[in-house]
Amino acid sequence: MNATITAASRSGTGKRAVFKGLAGFGKLILLAYAVVTLYPLYWLFTSAFKTNQDFFANPYGLPKQWMAQNLVRAWDLGNMGRAMLNSAVVTVSAVILTILLSVLAGYVLSRFSFPLKKVVVVLFTVGLLIPIHSTLVPLFIMMKNMGLLDTYGALILPYTAFELPIAVFLSMAYMSSIPKEIEEAAMIDGSGWWGIFGRMILPLCTPIVATISILAFLRFWNDFSFALVFINTQALKTLPLSLSLFSDGFGTDYSLTMGAMAIAVLPTIVIYLILQEKIMKGMVAGSTKG
Amino acid sequence: MKKTRKLGIVLLLMTMLLAACGSGESGKQAEGSAGGQEKVKLTIWHNFAGDDLRAKSVRSFIEQFAKDHPEVELDAQAIPPDGYRQRLSTVAAANEMPDVFFVYAGSQSSELYQAKLLQPITEVLDAHSDWKDKFLPGAFEPYEFEQGQIYSAPLGMSATSILYYNKALFEKNNVKVPTTWDEMMTAVSAFNAKGITPIALGNKAPWVAQSTILGSLADRVTGTEWFKNAAAQKGAKFTDPEFIQALGHFKELVDHKAFQDGANSIDNTQAEQYFIQGNAAMMISGAWTLTNLAASSTEDQMKDIEVTVLPPIPGGKGKAGTISGGAGGGLALSSRTEGKARELALELIYAVSGPDAQKAIAESNSMVMYDTDIDKSKVTSLYYKAFNLVKSTEVTPVYDAYLSAEAAEVINNGLQEIMMGGSVEGVAQKLQDAQARSAAP
Amino acid sequence: MPTAMRSKGFIALALLPALLLFLIFVIIPVFWSAYYGFFSWKGFGDAKFIGLDNYKEMFRDPIFWRALRNNLILVVSSIVGQVPVALVLAIVLFKNSLFSRFVRSAVFMPMVLSTVVVGLIWGYIYHPQFGVANHVLDLLGLHSWTRAWLSDPKVNMLAISIPINWANIGPYLVIFVAALQNISPEIHDAAKIDGSAGWNKLIHVTLPIIWGTVVVTIVLCISGSLKAFDHVIVMTGGGPARSTELLATYMYNSTFSVYRYGYGSAVSTMIMIVSAVLIALNYLATRRKSS
Repeated sequence: MNATITAASRSGTGKRAVFKGLAGFGKLILLAYAVVTLYPLYWLFTSAFKTNQDFFANPYGLPKQWMAQNLVRAWDLGNMGRAMLNSAVVTVSAVILTILLSVLAGYVLSRFSFPLKKVVVVLFTVGLLIPIHSTLVPLFIMMKNMGLLDTYGALILPYTAFELPIAVFLSMAYMSSIPKEIEEAAMIDGSGWWGIFGRMILPLCTPIVATISILAFLRFWNDFSFALVFINTQALKTLPLSLSLFSDGFGTDYSLTMGAMAIAVLPTIVIYLILQEKIMKGMVAGSTKG
Repeated sequence: MKKTRKLGIVLLLMTMLLAACGSGESGKQAEGSAGGQEKVKLTIWHNFAGDDLRAKSVRSFIEQFAKDHPEVELDAQAIPPDGYRQRLSTVAAANEMPDVFFVYAGSQSSELYQAKLLQPITEVLDAHSDWKDKFLPGAFEPYEFEQGQIYSAPLGMSATSILYYNKALFEKNNVKVPTTWDEMMTAVSAFNAKGITPIALGNKAPWVAQSTILGSLADRVTGTEWFKNAAAQKGAKFTDPEFIQALGHFKELVDHKAFQDGANSIDNTQAEQYFIQGNAAMMISGAWTLTNLAASSTEDQMKDIEVTVLPPIPGGKGKAGTISGGAGGGLALSSRTEGKARELALELIYAVSGPDAQKAIAESNSMVMYDTDIDKSKVTSLYYKAFNLVKSTEVTPVYDAYLSAEAAEVINNGLQEIMMGGSVEGVAQKLQDAQARSAAP
Repeated sequence: MPTAMRSKGFIALALLPALLLFLIFVIIPVFWSAYYGFFSWKGFGDAKFIGLDNYKEMFRDPIFWRALRNNLILVVSSIVGQVPVALVLAIVLFKNSLFSRFVRSAVFMPMVLSTVVVGLIWGYIYHPQFGVANHVLDLLGLHSWTRAWLSDPKVNMLAISIPINWANIGPYLVIFVAALQNISPEIHDAAKIDGSAGWNKLIHVTLPIIWGTVVVTIVLCISGSLKAFDHVIVMTGGGPARSTELLATYMYNSTFSVYRYGYGSAVSTMIMIVSAVLIALNYLATRRKSS
């Protein structure tokens, strides 16, 4: 190793300076890009503290007067405490269910061949293509007959089912790049499939599990259509319904809408930051093992 | 190893259970009115979910009803307006309507009527005839699906074509507030010459231009009679010369750059703000602008704003000095509600749309289709001016209240097309085709 | 060693829960809704069987074709604009340094925001009177280029595709970063010894290993673009004069605004057929490449 590095550096001290310059420039571009993508977040949080007049008269600047009461009022009027609890229950359950089901299914589909496997894969592919609005009426009628309406299950089950295709495909793709030797070694040890999956494969899957969780979390946390139609009881309403309370088709109360959105977005940011670390932890664990 | 295997079995069972179970529960919600002692279950759905004064006062009347009727177990749901139609359509598909629900005037309520999901509320109106008689003329028109049977009592009035103008801008630039069509066009050129937008318009949601401008403008040219015939496709067509002329006047406004650039890409709220901040001299808009401005602008900004009606059109058959408008949405009664529940549901409708409620709504900067006096100190100055203007004028139909849903969509998009340089005749033809299709049995 | 029997049991137990849930809550409603596509039905009240009339009408409706064209614009722009950018970012930012973490999080942030916020901000950028886009063009002396970006039918679809791409790079970045974890350090070392670096390494070492993931992301791009709905609803509502209509907004309007549930169901079946065709093409194309 050492030899190759010194050889490389000897042959290109000039090149290296150029590379360094390029890297610096690249970093600058990345930084600019990051600022552009972060701006909306900044805009949301500053707008959340503005009065309606301020919001329109001065859309880019800082609030003339910091209206913390926007958030307080949005919280009270939107019944956001309860809504956030409901969203948390529904989202977390659905994310856990999604992960358990999809990682198992993904493993089977990436490792085994069995009759009808192609059919299963095609079915899941079809699942990627479905525009959800057209399924609202059939789902509503079905869940009414099952007595599921107006329960957490009315959201958890369809959320999971609709997220499964993406989750299964991601875990399939990920697991197909895990070398097969790992299992072959374990099989010689005499482990059964459940053991191999639980002890060998699952621990390697942290990055993809974290990825699936992020995507699923966002989808469930922000869903409006299912939450609107399948839940009746005020006590079970989820967050997205609170966010659209302050707009009536003729006009929007932006101070309250932005206040509510600022509150609702906080958990997603926290979850993202935590899970991002998990994705990278996978790398550290993998490299020490390797 | 065993653990993971168990987990698999548990998962399988869990999904099967969750999917299959619960079917026993569905019988639970049977008729609440069966037992004598039992509480009567009543559900009401509405979209007064926000924080504006009107929504709050409607909700307070619902709460009051619940307090006054301990024998009722009231399930009141405030549904976000953005999703209200979708929610109602979905439950309608499964025939799961609530007992009492808010409906919009026009195609939504008439479609629900045709699907036999509504029953008349005439009975409660007749029981309180002093209440019924104080509704303004035409208040029940969109809800009288059969002769003598009324299906809802409006909770509001949509006055859609008030001409708002900035008095200060007119005075400063020495322009006369238009009372004739020529003066209107003169004002448009004069403001354009000064670099001020003549008329603010936010037509991103495409019903705006139709509801606020076309209805009133066309009525001045064609007269109300002609429009009602054309809507019914009896003896008049949207390809008739009078309607082409009406659209032509709209095009005239467009061609003279009466509206700001890109009016089709900004929404109504943005246009209101553009106007109230003094960037535009006029805005043709509905009574909702009063409600919005009450929430988002200062009295100081509003003091320069005056209200009037659109000027008449020379040679037009329509009456001058009118405003387009009509009954707003109201509460309707599900066709499935029977017995004791039905009686109480009718009482609930009276409690929420009765005289006290109408007055409270009118005093929350929101127009009603009901003859009531308001306390000047409770409302904004601008609203008070508009309230008196509307009270003194006659009302002509809003287009989309009479057109089929499909035809309304065609004319909405057609006006955008004209604003983008499309042909007047082409749009008239498409509207005619769409309305003819829906009028055919 | 696991016997064939035990494998079968494992396959069944591991796959069935997912499959069952998926069949009940996704596949059944989809076929159910496709069935409504053969009816003239308002969504409530009586329904009338009309065979393929809804489809015939769809093919005659110029708005359907415009929506399809707009969707295809989105498909192309998202495959070109999202996947490569996300892949390059993932490779460049595949470090645990503070800087990489910061940039990665930033790129993801538009995704956590409600589309309403994204739509509002881009509405301001494109605002015909006070928009940033026109202001910048003016500063650059390109006054003739300024326009009402969202209402001019010549450019508005393009104008809309920019924020959609910008907002959706985040998830692909995360997916690629996760996929890159699977490249063991030995492979990196081996590549170093071979002397492959930069593009060479990307094409000969990295891409083949994560090729499965690349294919999946393209599939996600296609299906996501054909289902695209929220951003357009917020920014233009499909207008003006339906110039930015997409298949999903077209379907939504038919279903819930003009009360033609049957027709809307037919459109949504068509969305699935079109995406299935595109995805099949994608598989054919990518298979050839990888072999």
